[in-house]
Amino acid sequence: MVSFSVKYEELSPAEWFRRNKELAGLTNPTRALYQTIREFVENSLDATESYGILPSVKVRVAYHDKSRGWLSVYVEDNGIGIPDQEIPNVFGKVFYSSKYRVRQHRGVFGLGAKMVILYAQSTTNKPVIVRSAPLGSDKIFEYVLMIDTLKNKPVILSRKEYENRYRWHGTAVKVVIEGEWGRARRRIEEYLRRTYMVAPYAEIYFEGPDLVLYFPRATTKLPPPPKEGYPHPKSVDVELIKHLILQNPNITLREFLMEYFDGVGRQTAEMFLKWAKLDGSKRVGDLTEDEITYLTTKMREFDGWRRPRADWLSPVGEDILVEGVKKVLEPEFVAAITRKPSSYGGHPFIVEAAIAWGGKIPPSDRPIVYRFANKVPLLYDEGSDVIKKVVDEIDWSVYKVKFPAPLAVVVHVCSTKIPYVSAGKEAIADVIEIEEEIRLAVREVARRLRQYLTKKEKEEEVYIRYATFNMYATEVASALAFITGKSVDEIKKKLSELIIKKVGPELASRLEKETAKIAIKETTRR
Amino acid sequence: MARSRQEVLRILEEWGKRVLDQIEQGQEPVLEIPSRTLSNTIWDPVRRLLVLGPDKMKRRFLDLKESRKFMQTMLMLKLIVEAIRENVYPTIRDLYYNGKHTIMYVDPKGRTFKENTWDDQQESNAVIEDIEVATGLLREEMGLSADVKGKVVGPIIVKSRGFEIDATRLGDAALSLPPNPDELEIVKVEAEYVLVVEKDAIFQRLNREGYWKQENCILVTAKGMPDRATRRFVRRLSEEYKLPVYVLTDADPYGWYIYSVYRSGSIKLSYESDRLATPDAKFIGVTASDIIDYKISDEYVIAATDRDIKRAQELIRYPWFQSDAWRKEIQLFLKMKKKVEIEALSTHGLKFLHDYLKDKIHNKKWIE
Repeated sequence: MVSFSVKYEELSPAEWFRRNKELAGLTNPTRALYQTIREFVENSLDATESYGILPSVKVRVAYHDKSRGWLSVYVEDNGIGIPDQEIPNVFGKVFYSSKYRVRQHRGVFGLGAKMVILYAQSTTNKPVIVRSAPLGSDKIFEYVLMIDTLKNKPVILSRKEYENRYRWHGTAVKVVIEGEWGRARRRIEEYLRRTYMVAPYAEIYFEGPDLVLYFPRATTKLPPPPKEGYPHPKSVDVELIKHLILQNPNITLREFLMEYFDGVGRQTAEMFLKWAKLDGSKRVGDLTEDEITYLTTKMREFDGWRRPRADWLSPVGEDILVEGVKKVLEPEFVAAITRKPSSYGGHPFIVEAAIAWGGKIPPSDRPIVYRFANKVPLLYDEGSDVIKKVVDEIDWSVYKVKFPAPLAVVVHVCSTKIPYVSAGKEAIADVIEIEEEIRLAVREVARRLRQYLTKKEKEEEVYIRYATFNMYATEVASALAFITGKSVDEIKKKLSELIIKKVGPELASRLEKETAKIAIKETTRR
Repeated sequence: MARSRQEVLRILEEWGKRVLDQIEQGQEPVLEIPSRTLSNTIWDPVRRLLVLGPDKMKRRFLDLKESRKFMQTMLMLKLIVEAIRENVYPTIRDLYYNGKHTIMYVDPKGRTFKENTWDDQQESNAVIEDIEVATGLLREEMGLSADVKGKVVGPIIVKSRGFEIDATRLGDAALSLPPNPDELEIVKVEAEYVLVVEKDAIFQRLNREGYWKQENCILVTAKGMPDRATRRFVRRLSEEYKLPVYVLTDADPYGWYIYSVYRSGSIKLSYESDRLATPDAKFIGVTASDIIDYKISDEYVIAATDRDIKRAQELIRYPWFQSDAWRKEIQLFLKMKKKVEIEALSTHGLKFLHDYLKDKIHNKKWIE
């Protein structure tokens, strides 16, 4: 028998990620700058709204060394902050996370921020500067950090403490990266605009080399923060089971099921164990690899679990969504819906949709689609997204929409696990349960648009009748005056009365209002 | 017939006054106009002409579909009244131009509505016809004239404003009919028959080739669909001088309808058939069966279009196309789906047209 001797090189997670930075979207200077801002802004929003704090986020991009294409990116929030001793690990150790719980996040385990720091290190070799103060802290802590990629450990270059005189809380981060401002500019602007669309309760200030943006807080309503929960037993994989067993290998399988998973009580656990022909009294630490695989498979197959709870989700909510869409798109009409929770493969999800019509929306040959996953705008890869597919499949003529039309459709999918098409996380995959919910949501808001358009059409008809009759009346009056020798004005007046009587007296009051509105507009114009 | 111009003016003014009365009494202004539609066109088999039925339509000012036409009718009424008061004789094209302007309205939302009083002459002509049927006045009585396309040549002498015109002494030219042929005095007619041809080109050929001299007949053309003056003139020759009238058109549904307009009147102007139609007019060709009977060569035969077929299907349903001969011809057309123009009669040499006409007329090979 021939035996091969293979030499394994141990790779620290940090080193692995440094070598695979493409996965995080840090492929080129343009994309890297955009991604850096995204990661930090998303962390900032998570650190605020998830804890009931109205977010205020400041972003500053400036040339650090223009000749080398180095940019500094600074992001500051008013979130819950990070305790002093946690700061080095949060920013300097990949896969650092205290609990393995589920709940809706924009980012996942704060991994993106560490990728950015690694990217900064590999392009400019500049450390990250972090300043943070937890809620109620009388001190502000400042760290200057780098990551030791081989050991996956933070290297603290300096640590300072400041007195927190104004009881500031939050986190501010600054990195220096190789980036391309000119090309990323529009992308960043669009990203912030869309982020604000589903988070109009946030205040976002942005300052770049030749761009200043300010999105004022449009509402003080905040969606209720998501609760934190255990994964649903149907949503597990082998890695997760192993990880959980390591945390507490001494409990029995029965206890394990009841302890670490959502909605599993004694009765459900017994039913499952009986169905799967598993011994509930076995110590989980004693399970073999094969047994763990079998357990996982059975957990995913079992149909007797309770439905996953949606408490871990935080939808935007109809009112806030309407507010955000109004603020960003300035449409004539907007309607929104938040669907009831649903689930796929043990992952709860909620679909929300809004429809916006007219106003400042430019008419186009297809609906403009705004896609969101866990409140994060998806800007790329529209073609492979299930949202786009559903919107395109809809026969809009049913809803009285004739293209080109000023129509925008906003869809937000939130879930403890968004099924992305690829690692780039820019498109939601075609999961049948999600597709159906999106369809129902879009149809619902489309129906409301139709109601609006029908009402408007009727009003418009009355208007057109009124205007048309009046236009002709002038001509008729002048002809009759010529033929009979009577006064034009008299005839015109009589005709006008007849027109009002015919078209409907309720129009008269509406017309007066319109006239008043125009008068106001004209005064303000002056 | 002729009513005085004063009388005509009074009728028109009164019609306008009635509209004003409705408005002053706070009623929606409504015009009652006999409807000039196929369904209100009645075939009178005894008199063998189309007459206007009893149906009347109500043109309401405050009905969005009718409002524009109402406005146009009033505008036209004003233009005609104005012409009579000023003692001028405009053509219907003049009226179209006089009345055409843009009307505008700015609604309370600040939007501007804009429209032309009428966009083409068909629109203004239609309301003239409406005024005619509604008031019972003919446009000739109102002093309106149309572009007359009619031309005449042959053994006839007419007198217009004191000048005698001998239609045998015009060379290759021809006598153009005036807008109102009733004002034309016919001094002398020595013809055997009247030959009406659809096309001017054929008229000119027959004129130059001396056909009317050989046959001692009067040649008439209206260059396609006949206008009122031409029809009236043909009618007078038939009625006052008992001349047989023969019609020659292309062998297609449009040509055949032209024959029926000479003979029975048109759907649009059925209220005038009484003075315009020539019920004794005979159709000598070109028929669908001529294509076979006269062995017209394939190079002259044209495939019928879908429109031709549709038009033929309409014709075959018209009550005034119900004679056996006509049904047979139209059915043959629908079966062959082929048509020819008069020019196809050159299939056996240019002279053949003369032989064809003489054969048809002298051997009584016509249909009605």
